[in-house]
Amino acid sequence: MTWETVIGLEVHVQLLTRSKMFCGCANKFGAPPNTLVCPVCLGLPGALPVPNEQAIRLATQAARALGCTVHTRSIFARKNYFYPDLPKGYQISQFDQPLATGGTIECESPERGRIGIGVTRLHLEEDAGKSLHDRIPGKTAIDLNRAGTPLVEIVSEPDLRSPAEARAYLTILKQILVYAEVSDCNMEEGSLRVDANISIRRPGDPKLGTKAEVKNMNSFANVERALIVERDRQVALLESGGRVEQVTMLFNAAAGTVKPMRSKEESHDYRYFPDPDLPPLVLTQKWIEEQHAALPELPEPKRERFMTRYAITAYDAGVLASERPVADYFEAVVGAGAEAKAAANWVMGEAMSGYNETGRFSVSAERLSKLIGLVKEGVVSLQAAKRVYPELVDGNEDPGAVAERLGLIQVGDADALGAWVEEVLAANPSEVERFRGGEAKLMGFFVGQVMKKSGGKADPKAVQPLLIGKLKK
Amino acid sequence: MSIGREDVLHVAKLAELAVSEEELPKLTEQLGRIVDYVAQLNEVPAGEQAPPYLAGPEKLTLRPDVVAPVPLARPPADFAPEFSQGLFVVPRLGAMEDQ
Amino acid sequence: MSAVDSVASAVREGRTTAAVGAKEVASRLEKAAALNASLNWSAEQLAAEAARVDGASPSDRARMPLAGVPIAVKDNIVTTEQPTTCGSRILEGYVSPFNATVINRLRAAGAMIACKANLDEFAMGSSTEHSAFGRVKHPDDPSRVPGGSSGGSAALVAAGVVPAALGSETGGSVRQPASFCGIVGIKPSYGRVSRYGLVAFGSSLDAVSTFGRTMDDAARVLAAMSGHDPLDATTIAQPPLVLDPPRRDLKGLTIGLPAEYFPRDLHQGVRTGLDRTIKTVKELGATIKEVSLPHTRYAVPTYYIIAPAEAAANLARYDGVRYGQRRVGPAGDLRALYQATRGQGFGAEVRRRILIGTYVLSSGYYDAYYRKAQQVRALLAEDFRRAFDAGCDMLLTPTTPTPAFKAGEKTEDPVAMYLADIFVCPANLAGLPAVSFPVGRSEGLPLGAQLIAPNFAEAKMLSAAAALEAAIDAAAEVR
Repeated sequence: MTWETVIGLEVHVQLLTRSKMFCGCANKFGAPPNTLVCPVCLGLPGALPVPNEQAIRLATQAARALGCTVHTRSIFARKNYFYPDLPKGYQISQFDQPLATGGTIECESPERGRIGIGVTRLHLEEDAGKSLHDRIPGKTAIDLNRAGTPLVEIVSEPDLRSPAEARAYLTILKQILVYAEVSDCNMEEGSLRVDANISIRRPGDPKLGTKAEVKNMNSFANVERALIVERDRQVALLESGGRVEQVTMLFNAAAGTVKPMRSKEESHDYRYFPDPDLPPLVLTQKWIEEQHAALPELPEPKRERFMTRYAITAYDAGVLASERPVADYFEAVVGAGAEAKAAANWVMGEAMSGYNETGRFSVSAERLSKLIGLVKEGVVSLQAAKRVYPELVDGNEDPGAVAERLGLIQVGDADALGAWVEEVLAANPSEVERFRGGEAKLMGFFVGQVMKKSGGKADPKAVQPLLIGKLKK
Repeated sequence: MSIGREDVLHVAKLAELAVSEEELPKLTEQLGRIVDYVAQLNEVPAGEQAPPYLAGPEKLTLRPDVVAPVPLARPPADFAPEFSQGLFVVPRLGAMEDQ
Repeated sequence: MSAVDSVASAVREGRTTAAVGAKEVASRLEKAAALNASLNWSAEQLAAEAARVDGASPSDRARMPLAGVPIAVKDNIVTTEQPTTCGSRILEGYVSPFNATVINRLRAAGAMIACKANLDEFAMGSSTEHSAFGRVKHPDDPSRVPGGSSGGSAALVAAGVVPAALGSETGGSVRQPASFCGIVGIKPSYGRVSRYGLVAFGSSLDAVSTFGRTMDDAARVLAAMSGHDPLDATTIAQPPLVLDPPRRDLKGLTIGLPAEYFPRDLHQGVRTGLDRTIKTVKELGATIKEVSLPHTRYAVPTYYIIAPAEAAANLARYDGVRYGQRRVGPAGDLRALYQATRGQGFGAEVRRRILIGTYVLSSGYYDAYYRKAQQVRALLAEDFRRAFDAGCDMLLTPTTPTPAFKAGEKTEDPVAMYLADIFVCPANLAGLPAVSFPVGRSEGLPLGAQLIAPNFAEAKMLSAAAALEAAIDAAAEVR
């Protein structure tokens, strides 16, 4: 019997603002504990929240980038619960009137091809502080630097049908948010966090099964792993006649297991109500459109444009559009005059391996373009160009000069080539014999030998006619 | 409409307030009287659509994204009940640990 | 004559110094100790406050509207020098690391913070009997209450210790004690004065408010601290209050009398006091208009849903984690810390209100209570709007249903205590400015009348109230 998996994701993303959501403290990672705090984010008596305009702007841009409708009126609400890293005893969030609703994210499902995943809502809220359980023996220690960091929560519809789809969705979501410069989506620093709801049912069953919530996943790969483990757990349960309880499962990445939270899951009663400290957030449609217009070109439209404009494959376009610095570099190389297909190959090859190591492109687009031009014009061979490239890294020497210095300028004139050709033919009499006997495919061997002899400098296009002339004699 | 001891214990738990067995009967009685009293609002005709009151300005004024915290005249170490290595300290979370 | 203005002009003109005034205040505070009205103060701190004024350049001092004026501050307004206790064990010893906006503004205007004033715990109460530091006594009759929750501030002004004081209102906590103590209490429009640094009780209702011996005293202090504050998103973007000169008459004004505020069973003394006030209103040339505010009877139940609900959330921060008193129950874990800190740190009335507030917001009850209360609140505000639209410039009502009651009279019956606020809490629910002023005495106890005005019409309201103040002998027994 088969089962259908149903997954919905709740993603929390920290926004790239200078200051916190409701106070003037710096929004940054890694400061000494409890040094980025003020009356507001400490929850001191008498302190009041005032929202950060840039957080509203970034959330609006994120929402529009995900195809959501941004509402001209939304309400901040208090979500009440006690936790030591929640300074006020409530979190300022949005509840029944969120900033944005109803978007779609398109992604590539390994099983179903191209799919659209619904975005139920996107709302603004403040982050809590951090509880550290391993710092002081037998105690919990609280750092409130993170308290009040602006967050958006992005809730998907239960449209995902496999753990792999969940990963694909997250990959695209992150691409879009990073592109829009809304967040750095750095999971290690906690600026993107994922909670998943998963259930299984018989294919065709209109009713959803009882879901479990899975938490504590610190990478997209672990989201996929955790969801596979949880799905298999639910399948095994149901197939042995048991039933799924509504639980919260914590993923243990080291062990590759999920286990239910130790504490009894009490039904939460957050007692949401509109925050009386914050009047309604009212935005004009004009302002919303201005924020949308200020968005950069997003990965998907960029991919399509690359395919049509540069006549490159869907795969290449996808790779080049996946990150904004890569796409920008590619377009800069083409803009400097390089032929698009060759530029794509160079960017995805040599340039990308450097970028993956260092996070930047260390050869200027102009110089890479020049190098590509040298190959096209036959000044250097492709093989020689790949020896030139490492010399260009973090330097400013002209590619032509490097080729010259390394003696890699392609030799095309018959006199110089003629000598190498003579030497090769003289050194391989039996192959010459076989060629003349009809083994035409040996031409490749002779060209290769000449190239080798020339140290890569010979122009293969000029070598071949010379060889043919000599061999015919 | 009046509330009973279970209701009182439930909200006391939500509000993280210890309520002793001895005070429970009187507290239940007092809270019951208050709830009964405020429940007279049920007689006011106000449909689903009736708009709730909104205090203060009709819309939010936002703050520019500038790092300018209100300074603290004394550091957290001075007012925290327990503070060590730059951190607020509480007992191990126990039953709440996994949240 | 305004005490505030006479002190300030003497200090501005160099006829006296703030230091001299500070010493006098210290000795008056000592003499008034039996009232239990002041909490934290010291002669040293007073001297420091005076030094700031006396040390200012003469040209700066000449621009200080409150130069050297000593002001008592209700102890739910934070200051960095003295503890801010909110009258609660849970904050005992807590000294705020920042100042309230109103404190910064008053000091900039030259005022001296004389002392912190006792209050009902977290401003919850109508008698100042619910303070962890003991009840405040009525200056005229120690067996009676001064009203509340700003009873300490009211008693200090009524006893002549300070010419003016800050209180806070959520449901009448300044006007009601002003009426009980025979002084002036002004509650400004919601959004007129910053709440930054006022410890929150019911955030949509809270307003820093002022007491004065006279209308002028209370009004000058209010004007000095009013105006938009970028740290409080609920302040209105309007310039500070500019006072009108006091009126000599009320010609051209229409004063509404809402029928619901004059019930048949109104206390006889209060009724007589109001009758005399209405007569004066007419004599001063105003037109009287009978109006109806039909939802008035729902004001107190509406208030006792909204204020506790907001309070339950606002008081969640007192959890013993970051500041204040911490207690840990036998289990020794975090829950034991929360429950003991809050269970033992809060007094009975605060605990009742937290529980009620939690209840009305809890799952399944929100719509029936909180949402319904906000809808009824809109109807109450609409009642007022209609009365003003019908031509009333302001409304005249009694401030309280009775004069000051005996201590202990209502402590066991919360609902009876709540009804002491029946005439004052509607202005908080509707966000309107209102002022209580003394209009006579009944069996020796002060009586107050109240004017309620449209939003942001403080200047007009206060100049009219000044005319009535001048025309009425508030010391006289009404008959």
